[in-house]
Amino acid sequence: MASLRPRTLPLSVRALRSTLRSSRPSPNYLFSAPASTPSTQTHPARAHSTSSVSADELSHFSSLASSWWDPMGHSRILHLMNPLRHEFIASCLAEGTPSPNPTSTAATLNYLDVGCGGGIFAESLARTIPLDPTGPAPTPTLAASMTAIDPSTDLIQMAREHARMDPTVDTHLRTGRFKYLNTTLEDVLAGNAGAPTPASTPTNSSSTSTQLTPPQYDIVTLFEVLEHIDPKTSTPLSFLTNCLRALKPGGWLIGSTISRTLPSFILNQVIAEAPWPIGVVPRGTHEWSKFVNPDEVKGWLQEGLMRAADTGVSRGGGAIAEGMRWKCVGAIYIPGIGWKMVPGSEDWGNYFWAVRKEI
Amino acid sequence: MRPISRAVLRSYVCPTCRHGISAGRRRFGSKSDSPDLYDVVCVGGGPAGLGLLAALRASPITSKLKVALIESQDLRKAKAWDLEPNQFSNRVSSLTPSTVSFLRSIGAYDQLDVNRVQEYQDMQVWDGQTGSRISFDWSMETSPFEEMRTVATMTENANLVRALLRRIADSGDENLSLFSNSTVASIENGSDLKPEGPDLSAWPIVTVKPTGPAAETETPKRIAARLLVGADGINSPVRSFADIPTQGWDYGRHGIVASLALAEPATQPFPASKRTAYQRFLPALGGPIALLPLPNNHATLVWSTTPENAAYLKSLPTPAFLAMVNAAFRLDMTDLTYMMGMQSSSSSDSTHSHQDELNWRVQHTPLPSQIPPPATAVQTGTVASFPLRFRHAAQYISPRIALVGDAAHVIHPLAGQGLNLGLADVASLSKTIQYAVSHGMDVGDLLTLERYSSERYLPNAKIGGACDLLHKMYNVPGEGPITWARSVGLGVVDRLPFVKSFLMKNAEGY
Repeated sequence: MASLRPRTLPLSVRALRSTLRSSRPSPNYLFSAPASTPSTQTHPARAHSTSSVSADELSHFSSLASSWWDPMGHSRILHLMNPLRHEFIASCLAEGTPSPNPTSTAATLNYLDVGCGGGIFAESLARTIPLDPTGPAPTPTLAASMTAIDPSTDLIQMAREHARMDPTVDTHLRTGRFKYLNTTLEDVLAGNAGAPTPASTPTNSSSTSTQLTPPQYDIVTLFEVLEHIDPKTSTPLSFLTNCLRALKPGGWLIGSTISRTLPSFILNQVIAEAPWPIGVVPRGTHEWSKFVNPDEVKGWLQEGLMRAADTGVSRGGGAIAEGMRWKCVGAIYIPGIGWKMVPGSEDWGNYFWAVRKEI
Repeated sequence: MRPISRAVLRSYVCPTCRHGISAGRRRFGSKSDSPDLYDVVCVGGGPAGLGLLAALRASPITSKLKVALIESQDLRKAKAWDLEPNQFSNRVSSLTPSTVSFLRSIGAYDQLDVNRVQEYQDMQVWDGQTGSRISFDWSMETSPFEEMRTVATMTENANLVRALLRRIADSGDENLSLFSNSTVASIENGSDLKPEGPDLSAWPIVTVKPTGPAAETETPKRIAARLLVGADGINSPVRSFADIPTQGWDYGRHGIVASLALAEPATQPFPASKRTAYQRFLPALGGPIALLPLPNNHATLVWSTTPENAAYLKSLPTPAFLAMVNAAFRLDMTDLTYMMGMQSSSSSDSTHSHQDELNWRVQHTPLPSQIPPPATAVQTGTVASFPLRFRHAAQYISPRIALVGDAAHVIHPLAGQGLNLGLADVASLSKTIQYAVSHGMDVGDLLTLERYSSERYLPNAKIGGACDLLHKMYNVPGEGPITWARSVGLGVVDRLPFVKSFLMKNAEGY
């Protein structure tokens, strides 16, 4: 999302971007974009859309694919933020884990990373999965498996290529403890991630619950995703509700995003996307109007928790919303020093948030 | 920088071409030639390399990493190193308190033979030209009732190396490979082990060749490094592989070292445990002479001087050499320059002439109060010399490469900071690796390693530059503005406690 060098993209990238623009698929197609691996069968675009990702966003990020892993490239700021994500997850798990034995240090947690992009977080978490599944977890994130999904075929392909350069991660890819799927959250919930499904009638998120497979994930992560939701095809509420549906009871939904306030407008739109050398983020990465404030996230999650309570009756969910375990902390990037968690700075821009699905 | 590897270019190459490239590569490949994978491979088993290994093994976060060390010397011999109590190796270093606390934190300090280690609490530095003096001790910082604080701790490098080897041995041999008596035959980039293996095209592969008798029987081993650490000295092969240039110059000076026995001090130190290090700048002879305390009234000598003077001093018979050392702490520049040119032959007559000359001249020289007790004996075989150089690598890191110690920087020894900087590198790199492991980062990734280089590059440049400046200032003989400035400078610093304490804290820190 950011770079410290001139943002003039290489010619090849510009060409790629223009290709993508000219052949931009429809949102409907993108949502169910077929995975590109041979193991996954392709299927025609489905008629309905429950995708949360907008076509503009998709082509924007696909065009940045080639320098996603360049430590000095446009994603540098994201790379630098990544260790904080691990620390925030560890701080959540310190309050409680879905595993029956809360003090256990065994690697037992199954992660789902929604909107993994080029895999900056997913790959780093996969690296902490012990090669010996019975061995102790090397980090407090206690990962046993990681499933990372993104609707961009280019990004998933690039993420897979990059993961092969680390033998540990490559081994996890081969054993299936680490998976990159070119799919959407909605497909994962329907239990057909990456696999073809017959076209079905349009459904909305609250009425699909009866078709869902049981929730499988202990942790669902949503890093820098909420601010890229397409308001035309989805709402943050339905998207977050789906994220909560994927969680086991006791699991955590953890994310980070940017708040929509005056300081964040100045920081993220005016300064960060300014022309080089001031700006560090490619122009067009963020749309300020899509940013979400912590209280908005909290409100949606309360509503989402009630909806995700699988009775389908919202009446019984009131207690769930009231007892919701909610964490939120701001993060600030200081040039020359790096990212720092600063409690109370949630309204200035970037912040981490987490919610626990009660047992 | 080494050429951009294919892995980096991969994303720019279209999928069809990419397939073509990789298909041709491993047609004859088989599983048997895939290298052993290691997380950290350290080339060089000196104090820096062994320090890194010991630090990684000591931390619960990094103790499970698979690590290897390649050293051309025999590490078993180094581990069994032993000397008579009153014999001292001539390779001695001074450890600053922060280095000592790092060694303690990794459990290596306890493995030092404490009877061979000497702390000192006072350091006397003066200018042979002007007589201006500065005394470094912590007396203005501590109350008279406290124990005097240590300025630095002298230890033989062999004692330190043995301690680190013992510490590493204590950590068990799981996930640890020590390639002793081995050299690096080659370093090259790996290949993509498609389809059955990972893509190692951006990983350095080290070919380790046994030396000595084992060279005939054992075949070279190929090991792949997630992070390849160059702790391999001034001519670092790892640095050449990474194509990292160095800047620097030779000082045109040699350092003479020797292990000496000293006479009993004329006045007993107070408190009794107080020891003093002495350094006198000799502008006319090309550099300072330093006498650093070792146990039982022994001392190690470091004398920086011109190669001609060094050759002359080494050619002297022992009594004449001792007379020169004692003269260097006592006589003025004119007398010393004269004695440095005295005919020396092996005849007994002329060997005494140096001592006679000193005895005669010292009667006519006003002696300052801070001179060390006279040296009475040189341990046989310990007089040696080495060229003094300044080197600084353009960068310490490259993808999957990090340089530490002399591979990254070589500085003038006048402040005794070389080993301390190397161990400070190691402390920083091991901390960086711990951070990476606990945050899911790849320990060889540039984003990981930049934490190390940004922490170490400037401090090393600062200290290296300060030593360089001191060397140059104290090489201006005669009476001139620089001579005047340095004497005023030292005088002012010595009289302003807060400036001095600031300087000492800086010298103490990494």
